[in-house]
Amino acid sequence: MSSGLKTALPVIVFLLIGFAAPLLAVIGFSFMPPRTFTLDGEPTFENYVTIYDSTTYISLLWSLGLAAATVVILILICYPVAYGMVRVFGRWSSLVTILFVVPLFVSENVRLYGWLLFFIKNGVLLGTIKAFFDVDLESVLFTRGIILFGMVYVYLPFMLFPMTLGMSMVPNETREAALDLGASRWQVFREVELPLSMPGMVIGCLLTFVLAVGAIAEAKVLGGQQVIPIAHDIEIAFTYAQNWPLGAALSVLLMVVVATLVLLALRRFDLDRFLGRR
Amino acid sequence: MQTRAERVRHALIVVWTIAMVIFVYLPSVCITLASLTSSRYFLFPIKRWGFDWWTKTLDSIQIHQILETSILIAAAVTVIAVVLAFFGALAFARYDWRGRSWYQKAILLPIFFPQSVLGLALLLWFNALGLSLSWQTAVFAHLVWVVPVATLVIAIQVYSFDPALEEAAYDLGASRLQVLREVTLPVLLPGIFSGSLFAFLLSWGNFPLSLFTTGADTTVPEYLYAKMVAGYTPGVPVLGTISTIGAITLLLGGLLVMVFLNRRRRDGAG
Amino acid sequence: MAGQNGVILYLKGLTKTFSGHAAVDNIDLEIYEGELFTIVGPSGSGKTTLLRMLAGMEAPSAGDIILRGERINDIPANRRPTCMVFQSLALFPHKEVGANIEFSLKIRGVDKAARKRRALELMALLRLPEAYYRRSVTRISGGERQRVALARALAFDPEILFFDEPLSALDYKLRKTLEKELKDIHRETRKTFVYITHSLEEAMVMSDRIGVMRSGKLVQIGTPQEIYGTPNCRFVSEFIGDVNMLPVTTVAPGRLASKDIPGEIVAPPAANGPSEGFLVVRPEFVRFLSAPGEADNHVVGRLYNEYALGSRIQYQVRVGEQVFVVEKLRHEAFQGRLDQEVTIGWDAADSIVVADT
Repeated sequence: MSSGLKTALPVIVFLLIGFAAPLLAVIGFSFMPPRTFTLDGEPTFENYVTIYDSTTYISLLWSLGLAAATVVILILICYPVAYGMVRVFGRWSSLVTILFVVPLFVSENVRLYGWLLFFIKNGVLLGTIKAFFDVDLESVLFTRGIILFGMVYVYLPFMLFPMTLGMSMVPNETREAALDLGASRWQVFREVELPLSMPGMVIGCLLTFVLAVGAIAEAKVLGGQQVIPIAHDIEIAFTYAQNWPLGAALSVLLMVVVATLVLLALRRFDLDRFLGRR
Repeated sequence: MQTRAERVRHALIVVWTIAMVIFVYLPSVCITLASLTSSRYFLFPIKRWGFDWWTKTLDSIQIHQILETSILIAAAVTVIAVVLAFFGALAFARYDWRGRSWYQKAILLPIFFPQSVLGLALLLWFNALGLSLSWQTAVFAHLVWVVPVATLVIAIQVYSFDPALEEAAYDLGASRLQVLREVTLPVLLPGIFSGSLFAFLLSWGNFPLSLFTTGADTTVPEYLYAKMVAGYTPGVPVLGTISTIGAITLLLGGLLVMVFLNRRRRDGAG
Repeated sequence: MAGQNGVILYLKGLTKTFSGHAAVDNIDLEIYEGELFTIVGPSGSGKTTLLRMLAGMEAPSAGDIILRGERINDIPANRRPTCMVFQSLALFPHKEVGANIEFSLKIRGVDKAARKRRALELMALLRLPEAYYRRSVTRISGGERQRVALARALAFDPEILFFDEPLSALDYKLRKTLEKELKDIHRETRKTFVYITHSLEEAMVMSDRIGVMRSGKLVQIGTPQEIYGTPNCRFVSEFIGDVNMLPVTTVAPGRLASKDIPGEIVAPPAANGPSEGFLVVRPEFVRFLSAPGEADNHVVGRLYNEYALGSRIQYQVRVGEQVFVVEKLRHEAFQGRLDQEVTIGWDAADSIVVADT
């Protein structure tokens, strides 16, 4: 057995047991009769039909839509920062990186709670306004918008870092050569920077979308019951409703979306170049 | 040489980045402020400052137990993840073998996956296997996500590892085990250290996986969440701040260790 | 010089195939004890694979490697009395200079004091200051790193040292200095060095004998003088860079004809060269003539360009489609103008006919 295969074996076995097997179990359960708890029932499509009929798929659409919106907003927000990291900050880049990395290790619901305290009635924002301007405003909490806000907040690093990595793969000399040959700033962006940083952008968008589609904390902490994301529906099915097959079917739908995107994007991706360039 | 337009652009970028940094840290600041009030409810601007809730929280036995659970899970995850990820990273970046590109993409799958769905899938899996949920199942759940991340982190270091180093050691007479001990592990130590740090912190702060797989045991994020949705208790900001400070201290401490290790290596030691 | 001592390393039919393709193809070679033998060849010629087989890093597909009469094919690299200096030098970045040098001794259980003695001894031999013992290998110059790598390889007193293009990543000046240093160290240590490089020039400076390798086979083996003066084929002749090569056929005993050259060419006196192929004349043997009769052979052409190469000047003379390269020492520079018509020539004894391979 080659050294490569030998060293890969522990991880491969682990992922087979811990990742592949559960997902296969989920797929299996999705075809089981509703409200059963074993895999030896009669296979049926009933759960999928239920999803369609009971409009539970709306939560899937909401999750997809919110995730897509999150990605779009984050592209716009992160681009200047990524640009700064690669071309403007110079020696300060490491510091900025650390500043943005630290929140990744703080639990997401803790940070969302901070926003709760910020936006809540008599909280940091409204309380200050009341104290200074004697105006009593309505809180933006428990709206759909605030959920999107929360998602943008939580997933910012997942867009920022791949994007920065992608942009750092555009050699400065290539840009300068394009300028030297007469291209305008916009043309340099379109012809050189954008294509060469594309791998990073793709990874950033993919990672953000895939993670955001499973978001649950933002809707619960900040959004009240305004939107039920698909992950919440799945949770309800698995716990309160005691309907494993339904939850499994919902999960499968999500998995199909995620798997399609991931396979499409990563199919021709050369990971060695992307990571080894470092 | 910068044109005026460029300088304006750069200034705007700096301003925007500062705004983003404030955006990112604002909630943490709010929580810290909220922990410093001695009143029962959160009213801003804070009228009564005090550490009352800090003492109450730090004295609470329940809190101690929850902190212990989180630390226990994180420690177990770190140890197991680093061992698996060390070999996984060698397979990822060092050796050329037939299934390699499949393997590389397979490693990414648990990362590019909605965590809550992963947690629920594992919940289903554990129940189907008849396992009862506890901190041990949570360790396993965390590992499914953390092992790939740690593998990538260590792999980044492995990429810049010159395979000739191992060959040279072997050629000079070392056995395979001696090569591992004298060359491979020491040279990869920074990567292994970062991998451990990542593993610990990611496990410590994880919510979606813990939520569905810890069963009766509770981690810090789970406890906070349960309290959050139930209504305001001042203990929450305190514990939240403790958790945050703990993570930041560990992270910055780890970074200092890395800088120290690198400086030691550069100036000649060991 | 070489050849006086016995054979230390004997390769018989050594072959290495990778998925059907022979990277090293049936090589027979004798290497004498104490010589500096260089294997030269372009990238892809198989020289690195050959060296790695000798060092024990690759297993041969066929053939034998015999060291002092004993077949060592099955002895792994860490138990062969040989040591390799790698292209990247492979110095352990996490160990100091001293620890690097002592590595092989530490592995073999030599005690600390003895190790240090040996390390300092080697450092003195290689002119590394004693203060470097505790210095990190990342904080010394390129040339110094070379010497540390060499000291490390010599520490356990191997029979043969293998060198895998150790100088190819260095800049010109450093390379030139180190080439000579390596040759000096070879003389002082009196060990057998087997060296590979893609530069024949480098091989010429350092080696006792050279083996020219191409597509897995050894094309010619000989001393630097032999390789330079009597190449046995076109490939070897062209390997050293600028050379005059005229396609020729024999038209009469001792007489050749070439496409672009009017008249006949006086053939070199060697009786057993090929009858057709290429006539090789080194640039330093072609000279400017003031009258045709001054040399055995002459042609008339146009002085196209000149290149100053330090101590020599190179002239490009075009004769129809054929390009001639003439070299003169700087203080004997040709006094003439570009585009002027010139007569150049050479003596038959200074030329050689090689086969077209």
